[in-house]
Amino acid sequence: MVVRDVRPEPASFRDPANRVFYSGGDVLRGLGAEAVEDWQALVASRFFPRSVADGTICATEPATDAPAGEWAEWALVLRHERIPFVSYPYEWAFAMLRDAALLHLDLLLAALAEGITTKDGSAYNLQWRGASPVFIDVGSFERARDGEPWAGYRQFCQTMLYPLMLQAHLDLGFQPFLRAQVDGIEPGQARRLFGGARRFKPGVLKHVHLHDAMQARYSANTTRAVRADLRAAGFSRELTLATVRAVRKLVDRLAWQPPATHWAGYQETCTYTADDRSRKVEFVGRALAAAGDLGLVFDLGANDGTYSRVAAGHARYVVALEADDAVVDRLYRQLRAEGEKRILPLVMDLANPSPGVGWRGRERPSLEGRGPADAALALAVVHHLAIGRNVPLPDVVDWLAAMGRQVVVEFVDPTDPMAQRLLANKPAGLFGDYRRDVFEKLLAERFTITSREELPSGTRVLYAGVPRA
Amino acid sequence: MKFAYLDAGSGSLIVQAVVAGTAGALVAVKLGWRRLTDRFRKRPSDQD
Repeated sequence: MVVRDVRPEPASFRDPANRVFYSGGDVLRGLGAEAVEDWQALVASRFFPRSVADGTICATEPATDAPAGEWAEWALVLRHERIPFVSYPYEWAFAMLRDAALLHLDLLLAALAEGITTKDGSAYNLQWRGASPVFIDVGSFERARDGEPWAGYRQFCQTMLYPLMLQAHLDLGFQPFLRAQVDGIEPGQARRLFGGARRFKPGVLKHVHLHDAMQARYSANTTRAVRADLRAAGFSRELTLATVRAVRKLVDRLAWQPPATHWAGYQETCTYTADDRSRKVEFVGRALAAAGDLGLVFDLGANDGTYSRVAAGHARYVVALEADDAVVDRLYRQLRAEGEKRILPLVMDLANPSPGVGWRGRERPSLEGRGPADAALALAVVHHLAIGRNVPLPDVVDWLAAMGRQVVVEFVDPTDPMAQRLLANKPAGLFGDYRRDVFEKLLAERFTITSREELPSGTRVLYAGVPRA
Repeated sequence: MKFAYLDAGSGSLIVQAVVAGTAGALVAVKLGWRRLTDRFRKRPSDQD
């Protein structure tokens, strides 16, 4: 293997025992001497090969062709399977975070039964292959020391359990909290949110109130001393297992459904005739079929995922971006039930997409930093940005060009009922430039328009654009 | 002896004993009792 442009993964610096790098198309992990012993214990286990085979842990093997030089400081280099599109917990819907949490706990339980544990418990240990969660942090597995509680418990509470409780118990979306705090919700914050009678909701007294009280009570004690004391007091491997089982049982009980009123308001927004809909499906299919080999497609404003599914017939991977987390949650559960591995639904407000998060804003890249896709679908979305969010039309088109090398885009005429509804809430005359001819001119400045089609209802036009020669 | 890279949190370690159920709660009580009695007990090093 020739090493070229070796780039360290910006989020892989917290655990000095190992580090992830990218080299060409490879994802590599350098292991220090201690970490190599943990790796050897892992490959000798029964659960690890089983989990790699069923896809719940990302495929990993020693990179025997790793060269000297750059890699000299590492005792061993591993090569990981590449995850098609990296996403973050603040972009996941409730059912996604819950499934990710259950997978983390199931793998931990299987590991503990064989004397292995995970040194952390972060939601960032997980990624997705379509609608299937994958545990990616192979460096997190280490040999367990008898008589020690799970070191990752606090992190699990902060990045998975509390966010799930917020939504299950309080019907409060967790995404803004996780986006704002890369280490998750702290016990003290969760305690304030779960005051009064809310403290009696499942799991809250122990995992939130008692947890926070213990943190305050023992803040002066080092974890080293506490570990030794717990061991002396008789803490055993069975108790670690019992703890993780209890947490799993709790997560399994947490459920969330949006209020019924949510869907009542939603149906009205689907104003398509069946004829418009089938013509649109055909147009999108034709445009993507003509686009050639497509790796990644963004479906911007994916809604129920109809066009993501069309795109999946023409691309290797589709990321369905939708602002309404209830819609994403439902789509995810459908895709999961179907075993879909090539469509990843994510919660994303396109007018306020994920920024760079963490250390120097680089640890978790912004949405745009993870693009552009080979093609972007922007169906029934331009009017929401231009009228609903006041984004100037030239900026909307610039953004389209940043999201996809090719685009399939729908323009909704100001006379369309949906556009009318948006316009009715804004001062008259504010969007004089929101016209089909202006949009076409802007689009043609950035793309070569290869096809266009007016839908039968007469107020919507579809365009396919490819990069200008 | 190696140490975790992550600060597991002293309180977060102890609360797990309670989460573990009855047997764990007994460990927590024992831990609390030891800590309480330690205050009144002379440390072996003090006697040397």
